[in-house]
Amino acid sequence: MLWRLSSALWFCAPFVVLLILWAVFIPYFDVNPRLFPHLSSVIQAGIEGIKDGTLIQHIGASLLRVAVGTVLALLIAIPLGIAMGVSPIISSFLTPLFRFFSVLAGIAWIPIATLWFGYGFGAITFVIFNAVFFIVTYNTLLGVSTIPLQVRNAAASLGAGRWAMLTEVLLPGALPNIVTGIRTGLGFAWRGLIAAEMIATNVGLGYMLFVARDFYRTEVIVLGMIVIGVLWLLLDRLVLAPIERATIERWGMVQRA
Amino acid sequence: MKDLTIRNLSKTYFDPYVGTNVTAVHDVSLKVEQGEFVCIVGPSGCGKTTILNMIAGFIPHTGGEILVGGRPVKGPGPDRGVVFQSFALFPWRTVLENVAFGPKMRGVRKVEREKIAHEYLALAKLTEAAGRYPAELSGGMQQRVGVVRALANEPDVLLMDEPFASVDAQTRMTLQEELTRIWQEKRPTVIFITHDVAEAVFLANRVVALSKGRVLDDIAVDLPRPRSWDALNDDARFKELSGRVLQLVRSA
Repeated sequence: MLWRLSSALWFCAPFVVLLILWAVFIPYFDVNPRLFPHLSSVIQAGIEGIKDGTLIQHIGASLLRVAVGTVLALLIAIPLGIAMGVSPIISSFLTPLFRFFSVLAGIAWIPIATLWFGYGFGAITFVIFNAVFFIVTYNTLLGVSTIPLQVRNAAASLGAGRWAMLTEVLLPGALPNIVTGIRTGLGFAWRGLIAAEMIATNVGLGYMLFVARDFYRTEVIVLGMIVIGVLWLLLDRLVLAPIERATIERWGMVQRA
Repeated sequence: MKDLTIRNLSKTYFDPYVGTNVTAVHDVSLKVEQGEFVCIVGPSGCGKTTILNMIAGFIPHTGGEILVGGRPVKGPGPDRGVVFQSFALFPWRTVLENVAFGPKMRGVRKVEREKIAHEYLALAKLTEAAGRYPAELSGGMQQRVGVVRALANEPDVLLMDEPFASVDAQTRMTLQEELTRIWQEKRPTVIFITHDVAEAVFLANRVVALSKGRVLDDIAVDLPRPRSWDALNDDARFKELSGRVLQLVRSA
């Protein structure tokens, strides 16, 4: 526990130094707030954003898109990846498509997505879906194919039928790769989200950044950048990493980094 | 527990590297009585693992028949328990859950199947390890789990594919002694594959010597039980039998 606390503090240390430098040097050199804001005005913008609810609204819109896009992607990607892992025919047929679309995944879909879904929720969720879907499908396929044949044979000789093979062997066996896929996919999705929100919506963190530029409100831009970074770190460290720790490392399937 | 009959078993497959059909197992016949412990011994590539994989139903045979308790083998099934050289435990399951896996597949309720698993864990002196994950155990401990996981499902025949080949020599001797003890207590029908002649003679009622996919000879082992390495190391009968099997395997 003490070790966890000290490692968390050590993680924050360079950010504290950065904040101190910011608080001291921006006023000292009298930097134009239209080019870079004072720390105090960013804090002020943050407080205002929370008070009038706009910041929360932007964060909520962004997170909702990520959640919906990711869940939809997982619902299709994991079964498809397992089917590909089990069937060499399905896998070899679809693999070229996945190679192609995983390069395309992301912001390249925005123009066509806005034509299909209009500006806003649908188009952006579609971008998130793409970012997560291809990576998780591919990682699930990889995970299934790394399960040793003997482990599947063992389950079969202990009486596992098709359903038990899926739930007791293929899913847990592929889980380390699935979690890795989700982590990587969400990383791409988060970047894609901000870009997509600059183009195709009127609410969300990306939109908040982009609009602030028109009014030279650098304090809102920097606030948005900080929120984007901090949210990702929280998501990765507090949600995704503990899932990996709690299961996979204990199973000895992935070596502790 | 039931008997096992193999009649004129053959396995031929197309080898893409050679470009022709290769016969891995040629016209093998073998009868294993209920409660018997049979070792199949032979050098690498003699077809012994292929025979075991066919009995287990992991690969199809191309000729002859395999009957367990009179019923032909079609694919893997819980009537034939398998112990693997690579252990093949489920890394995401605790030791207890691994051993309870077979009963779970049979639809045995949680309380009941955990009771069964605990009994078998006690048999292999694994009670302490019940809540741990396979990756946290040594190789020898993992294979103890592998053995009782197969036994806990109460198969008609227990198939063991070089199960002790990947543990160190001291652990191997301990595991061999424990296996003979557990066999005496539960009396399963066992087919044990190995390339180690001394191991085969130490464990078995009967040793079947195999070479190039054919049965060379079938030698009865009349050593008294319980068996231990301390007693058998200098035993004249053990040396004589081992010598005979070794000569057979090497001459082929």
